[in-house]
Amino acid sequence: MTMINGTFFVLAALLVYGTFIIGVLVATRSGKFTPKIRRIAALDSIEEAVGRATEMGRPVHYTPGYGDITSSTAPQTFASFDVLTYVVGLTAKYNTQLIVTCKSPQSFPLIQELVRQAYLASGKPDMFQEDTVRYISDAQFAWAAGVLGIFNREKVAANIMIGYFMAESLLFAEGGAQVGAIQVAGTGNLAQTAFFVAACDYTLIGEELFAGGAYLSQDAVKLGSLGGQDYVKLATMALISVGTLLATFNSKWLVDLMSK
Amino acid sequence: MWQKLQNIDRRIIYTLLLIVLFVPMAKPLGIPLSVNETTQTVFDTIEALDPQSDTVLFVLDYSVGGQADVHPQAVAVAKHLGRRGIKTVMVGFVTDGPMFAEQIIAELGDRFTYGETVINLGYMSGGETAVKSFVEDPKNSFENDHRGNRVANTPIMSGIETIKDFSYIIDFQTGAPGYQDFLRQLPAGFPYAAGIVTVCVPNVIPYYNSGQLHGLLQGLRGAAEYEVVLGEPGEGAARMDAQSMGHVVIIAFIVVGNLAYFMTKRSVKKSA
Amino acid sequence: MRRGVPLAIVFIVGTLLLLNYFVANDTLKATSTNLVNWGVIVSAFAVGLASVNLVRIHINKISRQRPGWINSVALVATMAIFISVGIYTKLNPDNAGAKALFQNLFDHSYSPFGSAMFAILAFYVASASYRAFRMRSLEASLLLIAAVLVMLGNAPIGELVWDKFPVISNWLLRVINMTGQRGIAIGVAIGGFATSMRILLGFDRGHLGQGE
Repeated sequence: MTMINGTFFVLAALLVYGTFIIGVLVATRSGKFTPKIRRIAALDSIEEAVGRATEMGRPVHYTPGYGDITSSTAPQTFASFDVLTYVVGLTAKYNTQLIVTCKSPQSFPLIQELVRQAYLASGKPDMFQEDTVRYISDAQFAWAAGVLGIFNREKVAANIMIGYFMAESLLFAEGGAQVGAIQVAGTGNLAQTAFFVAACDYTLIGEELFAGGAYLSQDAVKLGSLGGQDYVKLATMALISVGTLLATFNSKWLVDLMSK
Repeated sequence: MWQKLQNIDRRIIYTLLLIVLFVPMAKPLGIPLSVNETTQTVFDTIEALDPQSDTVLFVLDYSVGGQADVHPQAVAVAKHLGRRGIKTVMVGFVTDGPMFAEQIIAELGDRFTYGETVINLGYMSGGETAVKSFVEDPKNSFENDHRGNRVANTPIMSGIETIKDFSYIIDFQTGAPGYQDFLRQLPAGFPYAAGIVTVCVPNVIPYYNSGQLHGLLQGLRGAAEYEVVLGEPGEGAARMDAQSMGHVVIIAFIVVGNLAYFMTKRSVKKSA
Repeated sequence: MRRGVPLAIVFIVGTLLLLNYFVANDTLKATSTNLVNWGVIVSAFAVGLASVNLVRIHINKISRQRPGWINSVALVATMAIFISVGIYTKLNPDNAGAKALFQNLFDHSYSPFGSAMFAILAFYVASASYRAFRMRSLEASLLLIAAVLVMLGNAPIGELVWDKFPVISNWLLRVINMTGQRGIAIGVAIGGFATSMRILLGFDRGHLGQGE
């Protein structure tokens, strides 16, 4: 059994970074360390959005976006599930109808089960209906057309879009604005963040998406993982600084090390 | 009046935009355009390939939604490959891919011989998982091609054992799977270029600058540039005029909106 | 048990696939390829499962004649046509008529509908940028100026007016934009890595539901 060329540094980084994250996570879980999260306006606004939908007697729409659970977009989809659980809790508390639309057939059964159980945990199992979670289509724009149809037919009052999004982001954001919905959005896809910023009321930018679960639930595991991420970021910043310095002096030492 | 100009009905914006987009499409203006270095690189790489020994993996990862931006790129590059007689293996990791491959083969039928210089392997389900599977074993990933022929019996695939038997990969994409999935799964430094939708350009540029992407076609403009450098004007060049005029209208509305915003603010200050 | 088994599967499969990335070993490679292929098959089944839900919801809507039920009829009928023609074409690859019908369905219905949705984006970009791009603050002004410069640089008409627009646009994209993109991309990647680690090691079980 031999190491594949060019993967040594990646393995080392995986182990070191993994140790940082799991270390801080375990320390937080055992109460030795408590990371503090700054205020994130977009997450605070979710309750306001659900509250407004309740006052208007209209549904809340939630979508975890274009991403699935089997590719590189999976972490963003899983981060979205944390926020979805919170939204289900809120809609159960306020007795407001929730519509979840999804594009990925792989994540559909997972979302269905997650929403069903979140209603059960909130003591409102009857609020889960067959059409609460709707699979629309795996084709991007068929899904987008379906969601826009729901916006217009069911007059959603709040539109929450958290996850990985592609070109449909602006269709949803403008479509939501046209029916007068209060909109909260967040994605790790930077090309789409600009559209959300332009057309939504509140936007989560980049990694704020991953803070959602920790921020809303204050769960020790998620808080610890978030704290660990900051240490990894510090280590990455140090690596970038050393690399920049070495490159300035024409040294290829770090580049060579990274390609080992 | 300024107050009204701050809130122009969106139907007026849409109508004006529709007119401005339609006119140049019906009667092209022929505005000249320069060729970006990212496009030139793709052209030069294909120009340097050897028709006898080189095979290109032509990935069609775009859906019908983004075809307006990406399909003209794929057609332009396929024209080039066909003109040079480079062996072209087409494959799709999104469902619409093989259908576009058939469209291209039908359009450029005289430049390719099916089974010898071109093949449409079809669609492989599973996103990045499928990309990984194909990269690990391209020879055995498809038993039959999209047309139902046995892949093993085709001359074009006879020289393909591993992914390294492809000299160049060009991947036309509108989303996932796309450049990130390929860069993660391909051996480091493998010559891989991407054709992307315009909106993704800011995202993808860092990968070109770092050298991970060996070429980049940027949206419809990328297609138009490729047609210019190839000397075969097509769909891309024809639509660029409409895009130009569309940009002008959007900028005009932004200017009007801001002017109205400042004038309203000034009149409110005055009356106060 | 209900959670233990899926967590164990996630851990074992994830670790094997990760190891295959780092280690050259034929058995490991064969196992990993098999696992990946199973993943592809499971993905295909997921499409079937989700489609059943879609059909059930719309059949229900049609049978109860709920508002907009006619749209559901269109959906179910279109789905049936595409599925039957698609399967028939696959089973009879030599039938030129069926093949042409399928390609025509794609070229003349599915493809234009998709393009129409994408085209709507142009209109939405216009209305959203008109509404959002106001010079309310210094940051908003910078955003607006950068957007206009990039638009002018990308459109050939901008180049016709002043040949430096593409140069400025390129500089904005390849220097200013890239620094921000890289910073946020690294943050997103680290966030994704941490989430994946939590799931792989079984620390995060939220996606398995809240009940035991």
